Amino acid sequence: MPTLPEGGIRVDNVWKRFRADRAHPNLHDQVVGLTRRIRESGPKWRWVLRDVNLHVEPGQTVALIGLNGSGKSTLLKIISQVTHQNAGSVESRGRIGALLEVRSGIHPDLSGRQNVYLYGAILGLTRKEIAARFDAIVDFAEIGDAIDRPVKFYSSGMQVRLGFSIAAFLEPSILLVDEVLAVGDAGFQQKCLNRINEVVQSGTTLLFVSHDLAAVHATCDRALWLANSVVRADGPTRDVLALYRSAVEGDAALSVVRDGDGATVVKAIVEGPDGGQVVSGGDVHVTLVLRMPEAGWGPLYLGVSEGTAMPVFVLRQVVHYGANEVRIHCTMRHLPLFRGRYSLWINMRGRNSEGKKRRYLPWQPITNFEVFGPLPTEAPGGVMVLSPVHVDASWEID
Amino acid sequence: MADTAEGVGGYPMTLRVFDPTEIPDEPDPSLLHHHRYKIGKSVRDLWNRREIIYTLAERDIRATYKEATLGILWAVITPLVTLVVMVFVFKRIKSFNTGDVPYALFAYCGILAWGYFSSAFSSGANSLLSNKGLLSKIHFPRECFPLAQLLESGVSSALATAVLVVLCLWFHFVPHVQAAWIPLFLVIEVIFTAGVALAASALIVHVRDLAQVTGVIISLGLFATPVIWPFSKLPVRFQAVYSFFNPIGPVIDNIRRTFLYGQSPAWGLLAIALAGALVYLSIGFWTFRRLEADLADIA
Repeated sequence: MPTLPEGGIRVDNVWKRFRADRAHPNLHDQVVGLTRRIRESGPKWRWVLRDVNLHVEPGQTVALIGLNGSGKSTLLKIISQVTHQNAGSVESRGRIGALLEVRSGIHPDLSGRQNVYLYGAILGLTRKEIAARFDAIVDFAEIGDAIDRPVKFYSSGMQVRLGFSIAAFLEPSILLVDEVLAVGDAGFQQKCLNRINEVVQSGTTLLFVSHDLAAVHATCDRALWLANSVVRADGPTRDVLALYRSAVEGDAALSVVRDGDGATVVKAIVEGPDGGQVVSGGDVHVTLVLRMPEAGWGPLYLGVSEGTAMPVFVLRQVVHYGANEVRIHCTMRHLPLFRGRYSLWINMRGRNSEGKKRRYLPWQPITNFEVFGPLPTEAPGGVMVLSPVHVDASWEID
Repeated sequence: MADTAEGVGGYPMTLRVFDPTEIPDEPDPSLLHHHRYKIGKSVRDLWNRREIIYTLAERDIRATYKEATLGILWAVITPLVTLVVMVFVFKRIKSFNTGDVPYALFAYCGILAWGYFSSAFSSGANSLLSNKGLLSKIHFPRECFPLAQLLESGVSSALATAVLVVLCLWFHFVPHVQAAWIPLFLVIEVIFTAGVALAASALIVHVRDLAQVTGVIISLGLFATPVIWPFSKLPVRFQAVYSFFNPIGPVIDNIRRTFLYGQSPAWGLLAIALAGALVYLSIGFWTFRRLEADLADIA
């Protein structure tokens, strides 16, 4: 087997399990463990990673995506050797820098300055090396004089900024970022993404765990999708995200609790003009048939999303209905969406004829549809694009 | 734009989709991973990262004393109070024959040496649990946590020797030149303490009940060790065995022999104590290494 280059990661057939019955051991546990061993029935285990493979070249940027509990953070911990796999092999070369929360990781009673030195030492830098980078860290974190104040008096934003700056400026060969940027304000988030891009340009390997798909898209070339402790897809970020979104959408449709006050969606159709395809920039006809338990009135909301509960846009119309089937037709003009798979979400509330408040339908997806048209233009590296909005543009260059 | 992106460095990347149902429920037995630890490599890693120990110790010293109004004075007050209580009690109940040396001086030598062990042991034993946050986020030799506590307690004990100086002035006592041997005795004590603290810290994570046991050990140890009574009270035929299992006994005895009485060290018992301390250290380090792999999962 060839030796790994600096900054490379190799994960082969990795399995990891945790105790399913008890997280914290105590004396009773050990004693019971002894008798169990005699009876030959061990403790219960739960696999959190099954047969995971991941080869990362130096300088590659890889996002780990998946729902909570899918094993993303555990994989990061195995790569950084904080914990060990139960089967398979893991190898990495170079200094690994993990972005950790200042509050949990480093001492809140110490000043920012002392925390920088402590964390640097943990990463394996000498005091001299840390001192050389110290000013850059403080500058980037926008902390100023507060650097000599105990970290516990920092705002949560300052803590995150400091934690990020430390990890990003100590020049690790492999940088692990685990869902921490969300706390900072929008301006700082963008600054962080720019810094991550700079670090990556200089050859650092990045492993990025986030639920913020826009940030994932902006930072990573490659994505690994973990679901229920196994790898579902691995490849270019855009392709994996598309798969992930449509799966999340499917799951969301299943998991929504229809605990509304009795209204049901009988039919939901999304189609282009004359029953044809939905295309970017074209008209969309939505036909809904709802069965109402009683007469009433109220606003009806329709939203279009990429699968998540956050819509790209929302439409609202106040509707009066009788106590039977209601047929609603809505035409959306010049649909500003790129090619892709989208879902239609609905929400309906209001009052019945006696004036009582009603939640007829909670916010939920009711159907999916394909949009045909151009693919989105890639934003420059490190820039987050919020929505897949398609704008027709013409250029003139003199 | 192409449907497949180019990875950085020109590695072509294509989308690969996997079917989760093809993955077996259990890993193939040939893949099973047994975490291996090599003592030599562990020691080398630890040495290379010794800076962390200093920094962690500094962190704890600052954090402990910064918040308190009396600050670093507490390092002196605690052993002083112990001394006052011991002198007060033992003057009344029973006095030990300490020769020409005032009992307060005699007792304080023991309190200092024991104080180092008890503080390093109790904080070292809990160090992994109290540093959960760091432990579960980032990898570095975890021995640094208990060892940093050894260093921190060392600084506190060094400060507490100020009381010893004051006592000497008070009683017009001039220390004997044989006191130059003391650093050697302290090495034995540190080796012993390191071994016990390493083992205890890793064991406590696995068996939480042990956290209570350390308190019991320290309370009992204060009386089971010649802290307030002379080592010579121990029957001669037990002294060798005792020295092996509790190296602090001969350490305290020899501090007194040299510093207070100007005698030469009792080399035989010291050698046994050193052997005992080294056995403790080996067992402690081995235990730590064995249990280290699971620490982040259960801490």
